[in-house]
Amino acid sequence: MSLTIISLIKQVPLPSEMKMGEDGLMERSKAKSIINIDCQYALEAGLQLKKQYPDARLLVCSMGPPSFETSLRKAMAMGYDDAYLLSDRKLGGSDTFATGLALASLLRYLGFSNQSNDPFIVLAGRQTSDGDTAHVPSQVAANLGIPQATFVEKINVTDAAFVLAKRIIEGGYQQMKLPVPCVISLTPTGIPPRKPSLFGMIKARNKKVNMLSVNDIHLDTTYVGISGSPTIVVKVVDMLSERQPVAMMQGNNEKEKVEKLLLALNEKNNTQQKEETTTHEKIEHPGFPIKDIRGEHRGIFTWAELTDKGISRSSLELLGVARDLANQLNENTKITTLLIGDEVNAFADELIAYGSDEVITVEDNRLKEYMILPFASVFSSLIKERKPEIALFAATTSGRELAPRIAVSTGSGITADCTKLEIGEYVNKKEQLIIKPILHSNRPTYGESKLATILGFKFPQISTARPGTFEMPPKDNTRKGVISTYTPQWNPSDFCVEILQTHRGDSGLQSLFEAEIIVAGGRGAVSDNLQMVKDLAHAFQANGIAADWAASRAVVDDGYAEYARQVGQTGKTVRPKIYIAVGISGAIQHIAGIKEAGKIVAIDRNPKAPIFKYADYGIVGEYRDILPELIEQVKAWKLN
Amino acid sequence: MHTDNIVTTDVLIIGGGPAGLATAIHLADLLNKGQVSKRILLIEKGASIGSHILSGAIVKSCVFRELLSEKGYQNIPFDSEVKKDAVVWLGRNWKIKIPFHPPYMGNKGNKVASLGQLCRYLATVAEEKGVEIYSGFSVNELLFENNRLSGVKTNDTGLNHEGKPMENFQEGTTVKADLIVFAEGSRGTMTGQLKDRFQLMKDSNEQMYSLGCKELWQIPEGRICAGEVYHTMGFPLSHNEFGGGFVYGLKDNKLALGLVVGLDYQDPTFDVHHAFQIWKTHPFIRHLLQGGRLLEYGAKTLPEGGYYALPKLYVDHGLIVGDAAGFLAMPALKGIHLAVHSGMLAAQTAFKALQADDFSEKTLSRYAEDVKKSKIGKELYAVRNVRQAFADGLFWGGIQFATQYISGGAGFRGRLKSEADHKRTKKIKEWKGKTFQQRFKDYFDFDKVITFDKVTDVYYSHTHYDEQQVPHLKIKDPVLFNEINIEQYGAPCRYFCPAECYELHIDKNGHREIRLHSENCMQCKTCDIKSPENAITWCLPNGDNGPEYQYM
Repeated sequence: MSLTIISLIKQVPLPSEMKMGEDGLMERSKAKSIINIDCQYALEAGLQLKKQYPDARLLVCSMGPPSFETSLRKAMAMGYDDAYLLSDRKLGGSDTFATGLALASLLRYLGFSNQSNDPFIVLAGRQTSDGDTAHVPSQVAANLGIPQATFVEKINVTDAAFVLAKRIIEGGYQQMKLPVPCVISLTPTGIPPRKPSLFGMIKARNKKVNMLSVNDIHLDTTYVGISGSPTIVVKVVDMLSERQPVAMMQGNNEKEKVEKLLLALNEKNNTQQKEETTTHEKIEHPGFPIKDIRGEHRGIFTWAELTDKGISRSSLELLGVARDLANQLNENTKITTLLIGDEVNAFADELIAYGSDEVITVEDNRLKEYMILPFASVFSSLIKERKPEIALFAATTSGRELAPRIAVSTGSGITADCTKLEIGEYVNKKEQLIIKPILHSNRPTYGESKLATILGFKFPQISTARPGTFEMPPKDNTRKGVISTYTPQWNPSDFCVEILQTHRGDSGLQSLFEAEIIVAGGRGAVSDNLQMVKDLAHAFQANGIAADWAASRAVVDDGYAEYARQVGQTGKTVRPKIYIAVGISGAIQHIAGIKEAGKIVAIDRNPKAPIFKYADYGIVGEYRDILPELIEQVKAWKLN
Repeated sequence: MHTDNIVTTDVLIIGGGPAGLATAIHLADLLNKGQVSKRILLIEKGASIGSHILSGAIVKSCVFRELLSEKGYQNIPFDSEVKKDAVVWLGRNWKIKIPFHPPYMGNKGNKVASLGQLCRYLATVAEEKGVEIYSGFSVNELLFENNRLSGVKTNDTGLNHEGKPMENFQEGTTVKADLIVFAEGSRGTMTGQLKDRFQLMKDSNEQMYSLGCKELWQIPEGRICAGEVYHTMGFPLSHNEFGGGFVYGLKDNKLALGLVVGLDYQDPTFDVHHAFQIWKTHPFIRHLLQGGRLLEYGAKTLPEGGYYALPKLYVDHGLIVGDAAGFLAMPALKGIHLAVHSGMLAAQTAFKALQADDFSEKTLSRYAEDVKKSKIGKELYAVRNVRQAFADGLFWGGIQFATQYISGGAGFRGRLKSEADHKRTKKIKEWKGKTFQQRFKDYFDFDKVITFDKVTDVYYSHTHYDEQQVPHLKIKDPVLFNEINIEQYGAPCRYFCPAECYELHIDKNGHREIRLHSENCMQCKTCDIKSPENAITWCLPNGDNGPEYQYM
């Protein structure tokens, strides 16, 4: 039987049209809908496989309202054979957990699961531009009980039996070999999606999109929609920027503008005046009884992610926020950190110094590198054994696939990419109860214009925390803690995925967090492959300043820079003294990643680029003209 | 060639504007009535019908009574009926209401409309009648068999900047058709190729164009009534620049306004967009806009050459309709009714041809005769010399217009010739007196409240382009371009383009070069028309690209 390729897609509002209105609210009503960009890359990856396997059957599936038919039809115009849409009012209000289950049930209904005899590959987009969680592909894989690789740039298939995937990891990439069937989620860094041809459109117009309801796929209605979702959104507030208006550098030519900029950068004014305006809305207390629903779940789990340079910074940041949460809960709340790998005991003391009360080490010489299946299996068993109330992961490419896979096995809700975590309560008016304590996971949403508060009612409550957002906890080498070891019962299938090669760049994540000056390039700075951007960073370095270069999501997506250098949503938040954005238009997602910077400089040829609304200093001009001048003048410049 | 990438149809219509849609609707009606089953395919390059449609617009609505059923007519989404109609002469700070309407300019009984909305409506009507409409596809190649038009090909996609196929390459689709109707609009590229190949302009004057820039505003209540329309003359145009402004009150406190200027102006620094912005600072206009906000911006060219600039309207297997042919009645500033009318006449000929299964010139020539005999022919013939006369300036133009009006269009000089717009531009050195840039140098500091720079305005056209494609603006010979267009003419492209696609960059050593920003292009084609020495070619970008007009 021949190979089947199944692409999962979602229809979303056009990201460029997701802009803020004058009232600061997202204007979504008029937005045109498109196939989510990442999903388009998945569709293209499937079509590329069709070149290799001309007999392969291409299916496209989605879950959503009937209007999604447009996107499914477009996928058929691109070359897909058949389309299935799971559409049912009962699915309304589904969170990622319920969505993952519903989609997996749809695939099972169509005959695809770990029991299938015929080979199939599920392709999905890395994440959607409206939800931005990156959970669903992991959850589908977990529900189908098949292996997965997420954040994948490129795939090759051999013998219709193995998928070779190039997966992005912090600071580099990994080549891995997965057995078929498996789920692959693709980043928009691979082959750009084709435009449907007229011929394809005409052909697709007459094709049928198969509509299925929850009943059709034999899914119990208690597992769908709101009743099947362990999390709810309780609050959405606007996020406001508090920067001064931009000062534009005027001059007759590049030289004058650059001179003015360098003078201005050493002036004290125009820096960000940060005011923490925590508008704590007092929730009404109608005198309901307080109920603790945690049962026997206590304590906080965190995962210590390792890179070639030791424990990753973002995993240490977790210990800071975990301590805050522990303090808010109860003085006896313990922080337990899982340290998994090959010969990792040496790192346990460091974790204790940063705040872990207990470190559980799991050592196995097959675990030189992170692998989702064994890691998820260890985590799930330990969670079932220890029953923590909260589990925290850094929102790295690994954390963002591991956490949702674990959540499926523990039945937990999960909140992605949080920027604020705190303990609070939930007033359940219907049942006249106050549920307390409960984790309030806050994450930016609607393209960073709003902050949503999400609560989970299944334990542990799982969240991933955005790297760079939470401050590093102080290191105290005198802290005492427990180090214990755990020997798991491995399942042979835990090791069915093989890591062929791991490549890490020479810098990346770490140095960007420590840099005083970051020079970042966007689409408007790539005509020389970002060379001038790099040169400028090096010029600062040569002058004794801790500087590094970074890139916008668009540029990383286009392959000019590795993922680890991406700043902005799904990348990281950086806090340099000076951030120089070159040729970056300033999508809100990018702004979110730099708003903690001391001073923001924008250089772009388009005076109307949104970046100038957020910058402190601006130069309008072509980067090819401005940067050589800046590089020259930086040589004789000192940062005060 | 891939055999599974060919589509065959009886009739192919290129362009989903009023002319193409009217052709489609009327032909579908005739076929349905005659119980003849034929396939009609309409291809539009905009992302959807209406995306690339821009007009004032005041519409002579009666033609739609002929095109549509009574019920169909009643459902047309006109904005409002013209209730108050005046022509105003503007000076720098004053205005005079002209107590009468210049000939042909009265608008009583006409409708104010968004032509985009109108076309969206016509598209639904056409689809109900069985017309297949596909938007988002550009046609960039004509196909011939034995030197006879046989079909077209849509753009190949998945090409890099150099035109090399990439992994996601998709070959364009070949559409074979018995009859192809060219409804591409002003300066249609395929129509242009057809004209060149078959010398369709052999006996015609050079086509002359105008460029119109338009904005749509939301304004405070009570400034202007829906259906209240003004046309302005004078400020900021000198007597050498032919054109004027329009202000149309729309429902829901919206306002459509714009400035249209003939591209036969001679000042190499003239800038229609900037003139439009300056025009808005006149107290008469500013008062209307104060406290309002910009909703949309767009630009388009209009063929104004009239009767004598019409091409031969048919070839074997091909007909030309609407603005692509040049059906626009200049003094009345209206072409929509003519576009619709020409589409209907083309449909009648097409129907005969389909019945007879004969698409030869001989059969199709009936269309040209019908046009001549029809209201279009009469309307255009009466004003056949008007636009050419105004190339002599407003004063002489006015006198000639008057004599033409009395003499039924002939005037005292008989048939007036015209010169291509790009030949009219003077070199910097040849220009006497103050240039436009000098005259208004104090006006260019746009406040982004009432007046906007080009880039900001373009933002309001919702223009977008696929990054992976061959840039569609082409400078034929970059060396000559630098020598002539930049050095001798002072780079007029930076002024005439209403979307800042052409940026003149001067580095600190004084070196001057043009930088292309194709991604700003609103597809008005002014650069194809107005560049000295005809140095710039506008090519078809990918379909689904360009502006996304909503209510223009």
